[in-house]
Amino acid sequence: MKKSMYTVLTFAKINTKRFFRDKLAIFFSIGFPLIFLFVFGNLYGNSSSLSFNVAIINNSDSAFSKTFTEALGKQKIFKISKDITTIKAAEDKMSRSELDAAIVLPESFGQISEGNSFPTGQAELVYTQNNQQSAQALSAVLDAQFKAINTQFVASPTPFTVTSKQLNTNSLSAFDYTFAGLLGFAIIGMGIFGPVNVFPELKKMGILRRLSTTPLKVWQYFLSTMIGQLAIGLLSLLAMFLVAIFAFHLKVVGNWFELTLFLMFGIIMILGIGLALGGWAKNERQVAPLSNIITFPMMFLSGTFFPRFMMPEWLQSVSGFLPLTPVIDGIRLIATEGKHFIDILPQIGMIGAWMIVIYFIAFKVFRWE
Amino acid sequence: MAIIEVKDIKKRYGDKQAVDGVSFSVKKGEIFGILGPNGAGKTTTLEMMETLRPIDSGTAIINGIDVAKNPNDIKKIIGVQPQSPAFQDKTKLTEVIEMFAAAYGEKVDVMQFLRDVDLEEKANSYVEDLSGGQKQRLSITTALVHGPKVFFLDEPTTGLDPQARRHLWELIKKVRDKGISVIMTTHYMDEAEVLCDRIAIMDNGKIVAVDTPKNLIKQLLARGFKKHEHVEQANLEDVFIDLTGKGLREN
Repeated sequence: MKKSMYTVLTFAKINTKRFFRDKLAIFFSIGFPLIFLFVFGNLYGNSSSLSFNVAIINNSDSAFSKTFTEALGKQKIFKISKDITTIKAAEDKMSRSELDAAIVLPESFGQISEGNSFPTGQAELVYTQNNQQSAQALSAVLDAQFKAINTQFVASPTPFTVTSKQLNTNSLSAFDYTFAGLLGFAIIGMGIFGPVNVFPELKKMGILRRLSTTPLKVWQYFLSTMIGQLAIGLLSLLAMFLVAIFAFHLKVVGNWFELTLFLMFGIIMILGIGLALGGWAKNERQVAPLSNIITFPMMFLSGTFFPRFMMPEWLQSVSGFLPLTPVIDGIRLIATEGKHFIDILPQIGMIGAWMIVIYFIAFKVFRWE
Repeated sequence: MAIIEVKDIKKRYGDKQAVDGVSFSVKKGEIFGILGPNGAGKTTTLEMMETLRPIDSGTAIINGIDVAKNPNDIKKIIGVQPQSPAFQDKTKLTEVIEMFAAAYGEKVDVMQFLRDVDLEEKANSYVEDLSGGQKQRLSITTALVHGPKVFFLDEPTTGLDPQARRHLWELIKKVRDKGISVIMTTHYMDEAEVLCDRIAIMDNGKIVAVDTPKNLIKQLLARGFKKHEHVEQANLEDVFIDLTGKGLREN
């Protein structure tokens, strides 16, 4: 047993050293996921406040319309495209969904009509079919604005009102979901595409064949690969956590020890898929379609790039059974929701079940050449 | 006396009977050559003994162990040199030897094994920086890390220049002189004549003759064979070696 482990550790040690000599491998395992993290971090990182892209087309020259326009511009909820001044230009932008709606102030807006002591007017909200929800929200916001203005001019009783109160608990931001997904993406990249690219190459060169004439066992070879992948994988994920924490203000509330153990568990399970595919394939051409069929559904349905709760119900229940789903869910639950192992037993159980199935297949289909 | 005893082994690939009832024995400490044209079944015969291919029928016994029944015990006493040795890149020579020794669960004096094949100076180079001949030598030493009783070489000198070939011959003789039995395949008659103590000539999956090179030539002459051309006192290879020397060309 001691001898067997010496074999495993020597293989793991030297193969890990080799990895750090290979700049391309470092880029794809560590650099590549970081690039994705920067892209998605910038996309989702600042979207916590709701806002609408609107254009204000002011056809009136009244003093009121001017101050009204300025007041709207100061509100965070409106992102006003200042360069759009005609309804034609606004329609053009709306048709490309670059604009949510246009607020049109007619010529008479803000004029003081005869017999009145205050200005009146009706603003028009123009939107396309696709933007009905934004338009509803916008007209409610505008309505509230006008109510506030109206009370300044005409006193009227307000029997019912509403006030808002902010809770101190933090809800999950879009970035929290995305980050767990990106970790899943990195785990898939290393665990599946690693062996799938390397093993057929080793077979082509006859390197595995040569090893098969030695007493080296498949489990020793797998285990040494696993140890190397864990070392490199944890390093890569650590880099992602550091970037997420310092650049995108990720708050890790969970226990780091549990998180590390869980990540290792996930890495090992997903690596099994790579070992099965790479170990089975005789050459790259044979394995490429199969590995794509297996990884693409996981990439898109397991919540890698967008959260699963955005999917229709039936798809959520189906995608819940994909091997990567419990990994991503588990990471999010521990890291950002502070859950413990005892709370995520369903995820752990699912990973364990997949692990048994996957490694059973991997050992069955492995070929040295 | 015989360390290898092969009896009537057969191997079939689809329609082709690649090896069709081959029998021979190899003594301890001899170099046994298997000669034959491409597709004669040399490599398949070797691979069956190396545990790489299942044997359809017949038996192969190495050092008293049945290859088909105990492949794992066989692996511990054989060393294998593949036709074209390859190593994972970005690996130092010392690491290659360390890994192969580890595959047998052993720790060895790495430098001693590099010294044996004149690769001491390359110890810290990466394998991809080696020449073809150097790779062959590294491969030979990796096959010997565990002190095997039998050493298999499949066309070890194919693609090497004359200097590297001669150097390799010396190396293979040294291995034999340590008491290791060597079985090798080759296309080159000169190589078989200089190197092998005994040879088997294979064709179409069968052995057509087994004896020492000298005896085989004698038998041919006894059958009344005469060479048509005038026999030269030297050949082109002698000219080449005379002009370029025996020193190894590397680096």
